[in-house]
Amino acid sequence: MAIIETFDLSRNFGKTIAVEDLTLTVEAGEILGFLGPNGAGKTTTIRMLAGMIAPTKGYAIVADHRTDRDVEQLHEVIGILTETPGFYSRLSAKRNLEYFAGFYSSIQSPSEQVEKYLKLVRLWERCNDRVGTFSKGMKHRLALVRALLHEPKVLFLDEPTAGLDPEAATEVREMIRRLGKEGHDLLRRRFFRRQIIVQLETSETKVTDVAKGLPFVQEVREEGNQLVLELTDSERNRPELVKAIVEAGGRVITVSEKQYPLEEVYLRLIREEEGNES
Amino acid sequence: MSRRHIRNILLKEWVLLFTDPNSALVIVLVPFLVVGQAILYIWLAFRFAGESMLTTQVFQIALQKLVAAVPGVAQLPGNEQLLVLLLSQFTFFLLLIPTMIAMTVSTFSIVDEKLSGSLEALLATPVKTWELLLGKALAGAIPALVMTWISAGVLLLVISAMGWGDVSGFVVTPGWFLTLFLLTPAIAILSFMMGVTGSSRARDPRGAQNTALLIIFPVLALIGIQVTGIVWFTPTLILLLALVIGIADFVSLRAAVRLFRRESIVLMQEIDKLHFNRC
Repeated sequence: MAIIETFDLSRNFGKTIAVEDLTLTVEAGEILGFLGPNGAGKTTTIRMLAGMIAPTKGYAIVADHRTDRDVEQLHEVIGILTETPGFYSRLSAKRNLEYFAGFYSSIQSPSEQVEKYLKLVRLWERCNDRVGTFSKGMKHRLALVRALLHEPKVLFLDEPTAGLDPEAATEVREMIRRLGKEGHDLLRRRFFRRQIIVQLETSETKVTDVAKGLPFVQEVREEGNQLVLELTDSERNRPELVKAIVEAGGRVITVSEKQYPLEEVYLRLIREEEGNES
Repeated sequence: MSRRHIRNILLKEWVLLFTDPNSALVIVLVPFLVVGQAILYIWLAFRFAGESMLTTQVFQIALQKLVAAVPGVAQLPGNEQLLVLLLSQFTFFLLLIPTMIAMTVSTFSIVDEKLSGSLEALLATPVKTWELLLGKALAGAIPALVMTWISAGVLLLVISAMGWGDVSGFVVTPGWFLTLFLLTPAIAILSFMMGVTGSSRARDPRGAQNTALLIIFPVLALIGIQVTGIVWFTPTLILLLALVIGIADFVSLRAAVRLFRRESIVLMQEIDKLHFNRC
């Protein structure tokens, strides 16, 4: 079931085209990340999908709501982490979150909901402290809680770790991953790409073809005697993959997993694109 | 749902208002200054100028209109007539309290949130624009109104303490009650709506302050009309005025909603970049 659909979504700022004819579909439960250089239109797209700004052409449907028409209903079912985690610095973390929670009809008891989420992100001990005394990382975690309080159907994360030191960035990333496991639909910019590397004794086209035909294999690449694969739910499907390769006559030496941080994936894609252009 | 949203905004605004020493000081200090200054002015006029003030054309015109509205004043000795005239005019000075508080408090209410980024997060919630603006305006108008009523009570106590209790019956008239409980709330809401609207359009606190100057002009005009005796505000006239300003409150809320540009707030930085690129 599609949770996000866009149809020729476009947005101009004066003569500057920020987003042009974007058509995409995101299924419920899917995680989608936007990659691109500064000014590519990532934030503008997120803002249009979140009903914060209107498109100049085309439209989007998010969680069954037109983002340019049913804005209040849309805001009941989406959460957004904006680039700047703006809070009332003189109010406590708890009071800040209770205030934002008070606008959602789905939240019957804001204080209970706030307690639940502050405990989840390990900020409950600081709940009565003024937000002004919080570190950048803590504010980001708090902003993420704010986006999640009403348990939205779709969550938009715009640069959730931008400007954070490595420790704080890891902390926020861990939290996103933990929350993701709890079943939220995440649309986010930062993600990790996992690849399974199967080292074979010899390279065989037949083995590659079999791997390509497996339903859980998203991408296969031959690199010498290695098969580099991307799987859906790699942990669960890995034994199935090895079994299929062996049955196809492949002699497997090792199976390992490599995790590419987003930055690496991004640079590789950009370089590939530059290579194609030249 | 709207009532829950407005209540939510009110409670948050009040916590912020009364935990900010500057705002709290303005709310307490302005009424004190207005009442203190007016009492001093009345006392000085009564003590040093006395009846002779009534010989000036302005005061004579005003006194004639006061006598027409409250015939019993004609029976009072000259200096007491002056006292009733000055104290009656002072009721309109009380209107300065909500307007002056609005000038300082409401003008920063939205622009501050724009700059801190909390407004963008707020606009991502299901809050409606009119709920936000009305909540913000009421959050300032209600304490300002309470302070105005307290000031009126203080004035009555001072009148009595200064031995002017005999004339209070000519001051505390139906017109006095209508001014305090109908006209003042209407003026307070209008002032705060104007302040909040200015704040929502401003890009920085300085811009908000510039528009705030406009808030005080309607009240100054009313005081001017009353003091110069051009028009004496009878209960009927006050009722009519309160009705007109009540309609203006409603119109100002609608105008504020129309003038509130959610997109411009979200896109503040992009708009800046666009202007920068043009240069």
